[in-house]
Amino acid sequence: MHEVEIAVVGAGPAGLSAAIEAARAGAKVLLLDENRKPGGQLFKQIHKFFGSKAHYAAVRGIDIGCRLLDEAQESGVETWLNIPVWGLFGNHTLAVIRDGRAQTVRAKKIILATGASENALSFPGWTLPGVMTAGAAQTMMNIHRVLPGQRVLMVGAGNIGLIVSYQLLQAGGEVVAVIEAMDQIGGYAVHAAKIRRAGVPILVSHTIREAHGREQVEAATIVQVDEQMQPIPGTERRLGVDTVCLAVGLTPLAELGWMAGCGFAYIPDLGGFVPLHDENMETTLPGLYVAGDITGIEEANSAMEEGRLAGLAAAEALGYLREEAISRKAEVRQRLDSLRLGPFGEKRQRAKERLLGECRGQLAKQEPPDVSKSCQDLTRSRITVVTGVLSLEELAGSPGYPSQERLRSGKVAVIECMQQIPCDPCVGACPRGAISIAPTITDLPVLDAEKCNGCGLCLPACPGLAIFLVDLTFSPTETLVAFPYEYLPLPKVGTEVEAVDREGHVVARGRVVRVQNPPRYDRTPVISIAIPKEFAQVVRSIKRSGKR
Amino acid sequence: MIEDKVLCRCEEVLESEIREAIQAGARTLHGVKIRTRAGMGLCQGQTCQRLIARILAEETGQSPAEILPATYRPPCRPINLSFLSGVEG
Ligand SMILES: Cc1cc2nc3c(=O)[nH]c(=O)nc-3n(C[C@H](O)[C@H](O)[C@H](O)COP(=O)(O)OP(=O)(O)OC[C@H]3O[C@@H](n4cnc5c(N)ncnc54)[C@H](O)[C@@H]3O)c2cc1C
Ligand code: SF4
Ligand code: SF4
Ligand code: FES
Repeated sequence: MHEVEIAVVGAGPAGLSAAIEAARAGAKVLLLDENRKPGGQLFKQIHKFFGSKAHYAAVRGIDIGCRLLDEAQESGVETWLNIPVWGLFGNHTLAVIRDGRAQTVRAKKIILATGASENALSFPGWTLPGVMTAGAAQTMMNIHRVLPGQRVLMVGAGNIGLIVSYQLLQAGGEVVAVIEAMDQIGGYAVHAAKIRRAGVPILVSHTIREAHGREQVEAATIVQVDEQMQPIPGTERRLGVDTVCLAVGLTPLAELGWMAGCGFAYIPDLGGFVPLHDENMETTLPGLYVAGDITGIEEANSAMEEGRLAGLAAAEALGYLREEAISRKAEVRQRLDSLRLGPFGEKRQRAKERLLGECRGQLAKQEPPDVSKSCQDLTRSRITVVTGVLSLEELAGSPGYPSQERLRSGKVAVIECMQQIPCDPCVGACPRGAISIAPTITDLPVLDAEKCNGCGLCLPACPGLAIFLVDLTFSPTETLVAFPYEYLPLPKVGTEVEAVDREGHVVARGRVVRVQNPPRYDRTPVISIAIPKEFAQVVRSIKRSGKR
Repeated sequence: MIEDKVLCRCEEVLESEIREAIQAGARTLHGVKIRTRAGMGLCQGQTCQRLIARILAEETGQSPAEILPATYRPPCRPINLSFLSGVEG
């Protein structure tokens, strides 16, 4: 038997953060994960993350994972990898497999940070090879470097479906369509906009009816659904695809919690059954803590904060930190609250409050959303995001858009980010202080176009790839448009390209004027093209040249 | 009626078999599991439990909150039984 003060199960962002905080506080910490590599979901995330500076915003998921690993090592966390935890007995004993033998680990405090599992969807043909979850496709592409298929149908337009679609395009695949059963996308508009301008259609109010094929997927039939989610006869369409990716939600992975016998609540907004926990992330079993997706599906940022909170609280309970604990925990809670603002976070904030309420044994009354508290200016974000493409009128009214006079006077940034999402790297990226997001991180970016000189540094910093440069004064007949472009091969300066609008339609011919890809852009190249003047507000990218 | 389909892929249990089990009296995921083996496979129900829960809700009129996961017993990960021969206390 191995004895430690604190054992953390799961080395994703939540578990790593918990282990780091607890070890820094002085506790002897053991971190366990069943994978050979720590990092959990982070190591599959090759895109830049949202969030604020405190959350490594605009850093790629994989790089966040590496930094956390270094910190864990520096702070003296002992890490056991490739070790599945297969049992939790009471609140202090873990059963593991190590060196080919079943062993037990006894810990004074245990933190469960086991993440979530992906939901399946059943339809005729769903057991055919070629039907897989979006996470599996992501693992194939980003870890094993194998393209899951050439022609993909993505089912689900939440952030995961949108992001994995984008990564499939980057890997050289074709996404034939993204379908979504709801009447609008569930993910962020900026993520949708990336694949829309690459020409991927997003069909809302659609579901999959059947996957066809003998040995593997050869086609799929999709169908439109009505408001009751019932298929509308006669709207079936057959698409030639070799892969069907399912991105239909996640379920907290809490089997160890069930085994130990801690209290649970069923909260659909958090993904199903979640372990009850208090303000310290402690479950109904003393000494057993939870953090991250296991306590409700959120994001890496909130997972890290919850991990920190659990780590601090467990260390405090063991007598470390003393007075310092109170202020440190308060800081973390404040950051967590700020991540749960805005139309996307609000639901989770209320769900979390309910969880805390139930944990206190006093079922919190379901209160109507307090709009004043979370959204300074909700009307501004009430845009019609159906598939992520904003109309020119919507954009013109946005605080990130320069005025017509300013546009006429020369090169300037154009910010096409109109949803209250927890994100702000654009602010820090601008050396002239021309972008502000206040008072909270979910407010919309406001451009002070008079301060902006069109340097373009904010373009690669935006994880939503939602900032562009427009220079109406480029030449008497041409406008210069610059945009981020994360596909290979990069176009060459001087070549002619097909310029596309926000929906990926070719609308004009353009000429590549500049290709910038310095190290500080961190692999988000910026392409500048010259196009006929009248397309200044229409063109936002170019057609990808061939594949791969 | 859409054609029948496999719901638990590990144990190859059809949707119709799950519905039959419920009609024969299963009221919980555990009940469905012991009657049909659905959820007893390699993935320990990670793939199929939610799908089966939905059918249970549909057939019995229970709310999703009432349908608890089938009892979790160690091991929750596939392990080689020979590992267990030397369990220390
Ligand atoms: C495609 C995709 C894109 C995303 N994009 C973003 C984004 O842009 N921004 C953002 O903030 N978030 C994003 N997320 C969400 C983010 O990745 C997750 O919210 C976050 O990883 C959750 O962290 P976690 O530590 O709770 O769980 P995980 O990262 O899932 O880690 C859990 C770990 O525990 C291990 N484990 C589980 N059970 C056991 C056991 N019994 N024994 C041993 N080990 C076990 C698992 O193997 C895993 O390594 C994205 C997620 C996906 C899938
Ligand atoms: S283009 Fe340069 S000056 Fe203008 S907002 Fe972006 S970073 Fe600031
Ligand atoms: S414009 Fe700013 S707030 Fe919007 S996605 Fe880009 S970096 Fe985030
Ligand atoms: S799909 Fe049912 S046990 Fe794996």
